Amino acid sequence: MRVPLSWLHEFVDPGLSAEGLADVLTAGGLEVEAVERPTGGARGVTVVEVRSAAPVPGSDKLTLVQAFDGEREWEIVCGARNYQVGDKVPAALPGAVLPGPDPTRPVEIGRRKLMGIVSNGMLASARELGIGDDHRGIWILDRDAPIGADLTEWLDLDDAVLDIDVTPDRGYALSILGVARDVAALTGAELRVPETLAPDGDPGVPVVIDDAERCRRFDARRITGVRVGPSPAWLQRRLAAAGMRPISNIVDATNYAMLETGNPIHAYDVALLAGPRIEVRTASPGETLRTLDGVERELDSDDLVIADADGPVGLAGVMGGAGTEINDGTTDVLLEVANFSAATVLRTARRHGLHTEGSRRWERMVPPSSAPVAATVAAGLITRHAGGAVVGGTDHYPGRREPEAVRLRPARARSLLGLDLDTGAQQAALEAIGCTVNEGAAGELAVVPPAYRPDLLLEVDLYEEIVRIHGYGRVPETVPSSGAAGGRSPRDVARRAVRRALAGAGWTEVMPFPFVADADLAVLGLDAGDPRRTTVALVNPLSKEESVLRTTLLPGLLRAVRHNANRQTTDLAIFETGPAFLPPTPEEPGADGGPTGVVLPAEPLMLALAAAGAFEPARHDRPPRPVDLYDLLGAVEVVRRSVGGRTLEARPTDEPPYHPGRAARVLLDGVDVGVVGELHPRVVAAYEVPARTLAGELRLDRIVAEGVRHPVAAAPSPLPGLRFDVAVLVDEGVPAADVEAAVRAGAGDGLTELTLFDVFRGPQLGEGRKSLAYALRLDDPERQLSDVDEAAAIEAVARSVAARVDGRLRR
Amino acid sequence: MNGTFDAEGVRRDALAAIAAACDLAELEAAKAAVVGRRGTLTAAQRSLGALPEDERRRTGAAVNAVRAAVAQAEAARRAELEDERDRVVLAQEAIDVTLPPRTPPRGALHPINETMDAMLDILVGLGYRVVTGPEVESDWYNFDALNTPVDHPARTLKDSIYVRSLVDVPPRADGTTGILLRTETSPVQARTMLAQPPPVYVVIPGRVYRQDTPDATHLPMFHQIEGLAVDTDLSFTDLRGTLAELARALLGPETGLRFRPHYFPFTEPSAELDAWHSGRWMELLGSGMVHPNVLRTCGYDPEQVQGFAFGMGVERMAMVRHGIGDLRLFVENDLRFLSAFA
Repeated sequence: MRVPLSWLHEFVDPGLSAEGLADVLTAGGLEVEAVERPTGGARGVTVVEVRSAAPVPGSDKLTLVQAFDGEREWEIVCGARNYQVGDKVPAALPGAVLPGPDPTRPVEIGRRKLMGIVSNGMLASARELGIGDDHRGIWILDRDAPIGADLTEWLDLDDAVLDIDVTPDRGYALSILGVARDVAALTGAELRVPETLAPDGDPGVPVVIDDAERCRRFDARRITGVRVGPSPAWLQRRLAAAGMRPISNIVDATNYAMLETGNPIHAYDVALLAGPRIEVRTASPGETLRTLDGVERELDSDDLVIADADGPVGLAGVMGGAGTEINDGTTDVLLEVANFSAATVLRTARRHGLHTEGSRRWERMVPPSSAPVAATVAAGLITRHAGGAVVGGTDHYPGRREPEAVRLRPARARSLLGLDLDTGAQQAALEAIGCTVNEGAAGELAVVPPAYRPDLLLEVDLYEEIVRIHGYGRVPETVPSSGAAGGRSPRDVARRAVRRALAGAGWTEVMPFPFVADADLAVLGLDAGDPRRTTVALVNPLSKEESVLRTTLLPGLLRAVRHNANRQTTDLAIFETGPAFLPPTPEEPGADGGPTGVVLPAEPLMLALAAAGAFEPARHDRPPRPVDLYDLLGAVEVVRRSVGGRTLEARPTDEPPYHPGRAARVLLDGVDVGVVGELHPRVVAAYEVPARTLAGELRLDRIVAEGVRHPVAAAPSPLPGLRFDVAVLVDEGVPAADVEAAVRAGAGDGLTELTLFDVFRGPQLGEGRKSLAYALRLDDPERQLSDVDEAAAIEAVARSVAARVDGRLRR
Repeated sequence: MNGTFDAEGVRRDALAAIAAACDLAELEAAKAAVVGRRGTLTAAQRSLGALPEDERRRTGAAVNAVRAAVAQAEAARRAELEDERDRVVLAQEAIDVTLPPRTPPRGALHPINETMDAMLDILVGLGYRVVTGPEVESDWYNFDALNTPVDHPARTLKDSIYVRSLVDVPPRADGTTGILLRTETSPVQARTMLAQPPPVYVVIPGRVYRQDTPDATHLPMFHQIEGLAVDTDLSFTDLRGTLAELARALLGPETGLRFRPHYFPFTEPSAELDAWHSGRWMELLGSGMVHPNVLRTCGYDPEQVQGFAFGMGVERMAMVRHGIGDLRLFVENDLRFLSAFA
């Protein structure tokens, strides 16, 4: 809501600067987002009278105007011709300043030569003065505009405008008068409420209301003998400052009255109303209406319409019809100053995608009490500025309700607000906003909110008003104690530990959107029966292409890989933790959907990784080291350690989307948590990621299920241990993990360290053979180990590898 | 040993060898030739026992005198040679200390998650428990339980991202389905209250979604944290104090704060907290006393308990912390941006 200060001052003037008032309003719940001077910027512009106008010889566009400023005549060459001799127009004589299109760079006007004639400045359109957007011609001012006056002073062009962000509960603040009421309540300044005139006499247009719930009131006033023309300049200026475009003295009057009182108004040309009669009813099947914006609309049977004898002439509260619109020839006007319910206007506005200044106000509850107020303002402006006289009016008020008192328990208010406000102080705050307060039973108060506050329905609504008038800024700060240790769940702690460990190990956390296409999953090569192929679909996705929720985090990560590779970042290692979305199953149900029985998807927490290029970038002393499967497994090992897992086991797997010979299913403490591997070349091609991109996805929910487990540590042996190496010769096809297990089993309980330090293949070993060399450490806290123990251990390892992996020790 | 011990000869030879030593190894050898296991002085010492009493005493004294002289000369020469080694040899071993440091591969945590964690830490310190909930929600939890009016624009397809029914329930006339990507973390408030009796002090972090095209100030997916405290006597002053504590912990103890009325369907009275930042007021937190309708819906008696709730955007705080002006940077996943957080 844009509030010109001069307009506000008609009702209340607390003697504050615009900025000071902005602070008061913001502190009082009407947040002033900006203080502007939208019509300001013009300096030295003078009201002149056109004394003569003649074509410039040799030009078919330019006119030479003699303009009188009260002292002398100026020759001004002008491109527009919409004025007549005797008209008062704004002239920017040499030395004047116009705001210009860029407000930070005002334009100084000088003399200039056009077609050989010196023009002493220019005549200005409304737009050139920064008033609205009318640039069809020179702005014709009022007949009685004072010749020679400074336009800025005469029209109050430097008037400040407060731009207020009105919250949905404070519909009253969508009016100058409503804002004025709060200014008075917040500052104690006197509020001057204008006199309201009740309608009087038969307007000659019967009004019938079908639905008193949706249309609680209808104040109809008829004004005849009007002459349609432009509004006076001050009124145009105020409308423009408030953000509305001036149209004509009739329409401007209705808009002005709406802005002032908050009650939207529609004006009909009575000559175009069939009957003439008015009926407020819902639309009948098949009815259509061409609205003011020229659109032919099919009406819904839920749409509330204003109809004449022939059919709908307006969408109630939203927009009038084109067929009964005020036009240049209108002489007989009917004002509709009604009251429509928020719900009906909201539904119709949404249904037709029509959101207007009027519908915006109805949607926030306009009280029926404001109808005659608005009608008085509009009718007054029309008779003053368009001539004519009010010939009659009727005020139909079928939806009248007695105001209901709200119970207020002052002690409860004190407890909830934590403020030591006695009953008198609470009563005073409520009376400041216009409540009627009476004593109720047992120290309670019975509070009747003022008509302009239909939002005050509950006791807590009154609490907010009490503390608002008391001042939010005066509320003391106290910090309560929960009386318990706060903290994260073990699961959240573990998730954070995993993320931090991965970042420390060279992985960068990314954050893709969870929206994917079904095709993204198909090109991963997942079988049709794979649960990840059954997606949760969106009704209204941001883009048609990505219309389902991810069932795996891989597409998002691979897109991130591609995004970076396309920007020359080809060495990367990234990860993400977050939910996948899967249709629920008995084994994996979704969260409870609440009493309406909605079925929610399962949201397993996943960890996904992707890497490409070099894991260790080139240095001056070392070539780059390309990422490979062991970096991915290394990441899984980092994850294991971060949650205190005991064992990590990798098993070869040939499942999509991975390279069938370069992927591993990983088990953490024996639990299957997922797969890591090099991507299949087809997947690499489909996602347009660098060759040999690796990826993996783990069930983080399983990994963090028990939180971070604390390691159990044994005291190291105080006695010297044994260190020795063994090299195991086995067939190429024997997995290293099996060899290690055999060595471990042979070395026995005293084994405290086991490191594979070499894998060797060579002709001396024979075709299809490999040698794995391990460094071992044995410790025994009970006794000193000797050469004899070493020999015995090596023999035991030799027997174990022979038995388990058909290997032998190289000696 | 043959004949008498030539003390002067041994001393002369030893001192000459020590003086001639060019490095620490030669010095060690020269010393060993005199006092080592097979050194001349050691041999003389060994043969002392065979000498007569007075000669033994005399020769012993001579041996000790030579030993002392050799030890002194050796120490002096050692000091010289060590100085020379330090000066020459270590200087030759110098390397360029300005070459790049060798680090483990560089990783980074996402600034949004890190900012969120920092916010959570503050509230955990005030005794709040961190709880989470699903991202796909029923509209009952997301709207109804939170006192959202039936006609509220947030419920429309224009504002929220709806999900097709998983059990083939047809959509309503307006296209909504009763299941959507949660628009706030608030549904977890309702889930928490329905699951446990008061008192409740929880903080809810998480991702939320809106029907918004990404631009500098909007994302369809962003993050919130929400706090909920319900107890027997919590008041509006407790709300203000908690918010102020949180804001000052995040932005600094001297941060200017502004507490003003606002509107949310799920709280009454409602308030926003602004912080003075970079020369203007910045909206930081939305909050209020939990609406009695919400308490009632969640099985609490608003006559018996009262409390407050607040929520804030994580992205805005991350922008302030890191001087970021465009929200899209957070979701483009460009490593040139993210590596700044390594």
